[in-house]
Amino acid sequence: MALNKNRDAAVLYINHERHEVRGEEAFMMLADYLRYKRGLVGTKIVCAEGDCGACSVLKASYLNGRSEGFEVINACIISVAQLDACQIVTVEGLSEGGQLSAVQESVAACHASQCGYCTPGFVVAITACLESGKKDLNEQKIKNCLTGNLCRCTGYTSLIEAALKAQPSVQLSASLASRYLPDDRQKDLKAIAGIPLEISFGDKTFCAPVLLKDALQLRSKMPLTLMASGSDLGVMINKGKANPKTQLSLHLLPDLYKIDQDQNRLTFGARVTLTELRKICEKTVPEFAKFLNIFASPQIKNIGTLVGNVANASPIGDTVPFLMVADTLVHVASSRGTRNIPLTEFYLAYRKMSLEADEIIASVSFAIPKQEDRLRIFKVSQRKDLDISTVNSAFLFRMKDDHPSVVSEARIAYGGIGPVIRRFPAVETFLVGKALEPKVIDQALGMIQGDILPLSDVRGTSAYRRNLVDGMFRRFCEELGQKATHQGAEQHV
Amino acid sequence: MSKISDSVIVPKENNKHDSARTHVSGRSEFVDDRPPLPHELCVGVVWSPHAKARILSIDTAAALAIPGVESVQTHRDLHHHHWGTIFPEQPFLAIDSVQHVGEVVAVVGARNQEALRAGLKAVTVSYEVLEPILSIDEAIRQKSFIGSPRSIECGDVDRALKDAPHVLEGKLVIRGAEHFYLENQSCIAYPKEDGQMEVHSSSQHPTETQHLVAEALGLSQKDVVCVTKRLGGGFGGKETQAAPFAVYAAMIAQATGKSARLVLSKDDDMIITGKRNPFQIHYRVGFDLNGLILGLEAQHYGDGGAYADLSTAIMERAMLHSDNAYFLPSARISGQVCRTNFHSHTAFRGFGGPKGVAMIERIMEDIALTLGKDALDVRKSNCYAGPDRNVTHYGQTVENNMLPRLFSRLEESCAYRQRREEIKSWNLDLQKNPRGMAVTAVKFGIAFTTRFLNQGNAMVNIHRDGTIQVSTGAVEMGQGVNSRVAKLVADEFGIPLNDVRVMTTSTEKNANTSPTAASSGTDINGAAAVHACRKIKHRLASLTLQLAKIPPENWANKTAGLGTMPEISVSEGTDSESCIFSDGKVYPKADQTAAIPFATLISEAYFNRISVSEYGFYKIADLGFNKLTGKGRAFLYFSQGVACSEVELDRWTGEAKVLRTDILMDLGRPVNYHLDVGQVSGAFIQGMGWVTTEALHYDAKGKLLSHSPSTYKIPSVQDIPRTYHIDLLPNDENHANVKGTKAAGEPPLMLCFSVWNAIRDALNSDRSRRANAKPILPDELPIPATAEAILRVMKPESFRGWES
Repeated sequence: MALNKNRDAAVLYINHERHEVRGEEAFMMLADYLRYKRGLVGTKIVCAEGDCGACSVLKASYLNGRSEGFEVINACIISVAQLDACQIVTVEGLSEGGQLSAVQESVAACHASQCGYCTPGFVVAITACLESGKKDLNEQKIKNCLTGNLCRCTGYTSLIEAALKAQPSVQLSASLASRYLPDDRQKDLKAIAGIPLEISFGDKTFCAPVLLKDALQLRSKMPLTLMASGSDLGVMINKGKANPKTQLSLHLLPDLYKIDQDQNRLTFGARVTLTELRKICEKTVPEFAKFLNIFASPQIKNIGTLVGNVANASPIGDTVPFLMVADTLVHVASSRGTRNIPLTEFYLAYRKMSLEADEIIASVSFAIPKQEDRLRIFKVSQRKDLDISTVNSAFLFRMKDDHPSVVSEARIAYGGIGPVIRRFPAVETFLVGKALEPKVIDQALGMIQGDILPLSDVRGTSAYRRNLVDGMFRRFCEELGQKATHQGAEQHV
Repeated sequence: MSKISDSVIVPKENNKHDSARTHVSGRSEFVDDRPPLPHELCVGVVWSPHAKARILSIDTAAALAIPGVESVQTHRDLHHHHWGTIFPEQPFLAIDSVQHVGEVVAVVGARNQEALRAGLKAVTVSYEVLEPILSIDEAIRQKSFIGSPRSIECGDVDRALKDAPHVLEGKLVIRGAEHFYLENQSCIAYPKEDGQMEVHSSSQHPTETQHLVAEALGLSQKDVVCVTKRLGGGFGGKETQAAPFAVYAAMIAQATGKSARLVLSKDDDMIITGKRNPFQIHYRVGFDLNGLILGLEAQHYGDGGAYADLSTAIMERAMLHSDNAYFLPSARISGQVCRTNFHSHTAFRGFGGPKGVAMIERIMEDIALTLGKDALDVRKSNCYAGPDRNVTHYGQTVENNMLPRLFSRLEESCAYRQRREEIKSWNLDLQKNPRGMAVTAVKFGIAFTTRFLNQGNAMVNIHRDGTIQVSTGAVEMGQGVNSRVAKLVADEFGIPLNDVRVMTTSTEKNANTSPTAASSGTDINGAAAVHACRKIKHRLASLTLQLAKIPPENWANKTAGLGTMPEISVSEGTDSESCIFSDGKVYPKADQTAAIPFATLISEAYFNRISVSEYGFYKIADLGFNKLTGKGRAFLYFSQGVACSEVELDRWTGEAKVLRTDILMDLGRPVNYHLDVGQVSGAFIQGMGWVTTEALHYDAKGKLLSHSPSTYKIPSVQDIPRTYHIDLLPNDENHANVKGTKAAGEPPLMLCFSVWNAIRDALNSDRSRRANAKPILPDELPIPATAEAILRVMKPESFRGWES
């Protein structure tokens, strides 16, 4: 049967052209492929680490069975093979028949391009923002869409103005979806996703099975580099720090796109992006959704996954402190079976997880905080947005029904304070049954400080980190007193 | 987002950047966008991992053995070894030692990226590691200096300081900053017939690039052309430091006969190339009971890095801007550049200006603090005014001084007094994050302080259809110099802007040009273009006057073929003012009915063998700054401005948020209002990044650790002031410059000190509200005021506790 025959080429559409990419070219980063193989040089490469947005392009796919329309991604840290079964639109694809798009016209008219190097990336990111169907975009919402794009010339005000002014015309013009996702192309993309992919070049292989059991079997047979979204791996490859020989991509496994929600828990499959996570949490865990606004850029959140953030095992992963206080379970699968590991027991040492060589993380689930839970999530970094944290933390407290100032349950997690992100059980026990008076706070902080050994590095000295540990907890306690939790005013809404 | 009121300029036209449409569609061509030629090589560099070391050997054999590696070049392959704009002392490629991490030792050319990566790894350099100098203090201790000490003096400062009722001493630590142009250093070198070389370089100084490539390759300058279409940002970082990369690409191209492309990664770029010079400034300032400065003694130490580059000129500008907007009755401003083992620091928007401005603006705050006065009042009373208080410490009279007017207009338009009161009461609540506010000024001298650089040339070619191509030495890097030059030319001939195109900058057309720097691009090149236009206009006016007397059927376009009518020749005595060039037509002043369409007139000129091409040359007159005496007219004029910024500090984390900034600039009569406002907006934000979040971290051995945007944080869209007003003050009186304009590129950057001083103001308020403690000591906050630096000032005991 034809369906069982593996493909040896990634299939993707770039603007109006169908590309079957095999061999060496499939392993190139999309930005390199566009620029050096296809002459689509409007997509620029500056940092090659997903931090500046000059390489922004638009992506749509039907892999998760619920197309999100066009989303902006960084083309510099994702390989062509990983974009198999996707429709890509580059800056060149926005104008039609020599006619600039409404966004392009507006950026030109508002004097929002100076040197021009970041401009295509901004045009693409603004387009994604205005095409998303979000209504009533105000200045702050536009800013949230542009967090992943750096400009060194304009000071940004003209770009914000251009986006705001383009809004009415974009709503009047034909949508990108109507131009680039006609029925036959949708059908083609969906059909492609049903056929397993195996690309080889030299000693490198890229496999993408369509059945979970096949993926697990491959995993058990040989050492290979697992890719949920590969956003971190792409950076490592670009910087010469990684050169994976065999890559196992999960992009064709429909099971891993699942989002399950019951009354108490939310479960996210390994391919669910942070953007989708944020959307779900807007209603269920608004504090976490707000936090996700300052974590990473739209470009990264559109490919990065919650499971990827957990599996990165970074001592400063930004979703982890919250997950640590929310009864998170890591759902692991292998050809031997499945097991569930509490996240609090998952990290063994610096970048070391409780994960066997043949296992993959199929999903992660956490408990939805209750209405009466006092939850706050903090991160401090050199720059507020799109920056790796110096210290991050999450606090989830329950207060006694009859004595609202007395703690009945306390959960505290910090990152950036040692080799792993972790909870502080002794402090949590100590706090139970106590009112958060200054002396108690001091004692709790004394216990925390005695239990951590933060490093000094580019993001801050050890003493600064200790001050942040102090400040975050004190702020949380002060807000508890003011009953201002769940309303964090600092983060962009 | 500019506010409009009758006291500010209201734009009448809306001319876009000349590349706006190609920028937004991704069709503007940058160096790395040029399609690769068949057999083109990619080029990479091997750099030193040590801050200081002796080179024992360089072995290239293993690299050359790798399939795909076609050439490895070292210092042995150069015809000439040293370069340097002021002191030719920096090796293109390290010879027997390396003096900083990132110093380039070898160049590899390979057929593809994979071979290049392997080739770069396979070049073996063995080093004997030596002890580096990694601070200004250590350089001073070892007397490791670049150039000689310089000083600018006026009045009797010793006496003034002795007699002054108040004397404050201070030390200001200013750290470096990365340009972070989006387009990394890049060059493609094309070998041409008969040994010639054409380099396409992302350079702010094509002439120097051409000359250095010629020297390094052993070619004469006639055999090298440097072409620069546009830059994806420069900010000074490509003024001198683009040239070596052009040399590396050209070496590979010459050695292999194949085109060679060198495009640095952001990481390599940040590690190899120099930054804004870090400075340490020590000062003593004496003032009277009203806060009026009586004398200022300042010693600037600049960290030049390993090689001189432009550091001595940068120091000079720091010294010349130590007054900024304020009159110094007596002063001794001294400067010394230190030689350390960091990358050679270089030009960065504002050059040395920001260092002097940072110092004096902090002094204003500290005087106010000492006397319990409002800092704006102290500034206003110290501000330059006429006629007893209008001469700088270097002896130049401040003409067209708009500063007093700028201060009072801004005070009113930003509701300074009212907001000052609001902030005071806000800060009373200890549970609120402290807020602060400051007004600072800029008075930036326009002209290169090195006189001979103040020259430019331009070529104007009018084509037969009446459209014009202009070429100048100016490099377009987003600032809009091409759009401004085009507008000046279009206005000269009275034709539509669309009929003028500014062409690619190339040393083939414009030779011996100065770098596009010092905000002078339009001043120099625009004026040169206007000169060329005037010469052509003179001939066209003579032709117009004569045509008016001849019936059109006898004009040359009908008769020249057969030669039936006599030829018209230009009469030398004609005044170009005798005709009006307007609305695409030309006519004698006296007779508008004889108007001739511009294209028709050009055609007539051609058939009458009258040249409609010209070369214009311009030099800024009346400049005369003597660097040894520190006296003279250093600048043609001053661009001026003021800003008020308000900030809020997170009392738990030290994070600063800029709530509001109001800027009012005097930029003369803008050629293009929107481009000028764009320059103001961007320059301010760039400066704001430098004084807040942009921190360069080096390890103990001198290696830069923050070498990409994941660790070096320039402002993002979320960091701009929550309310941001920019206005331009009307000023038609700047007769010194072409069409009454003023340069806009650098000056607004220096208004960033309104943010830095607002942070200090908030820290002061926080300290006094919490403990009634004495105000913050002047030295506690460095530039940049990162969140950590701010929290250190807020909670000194806590930091001391953890660090003791």
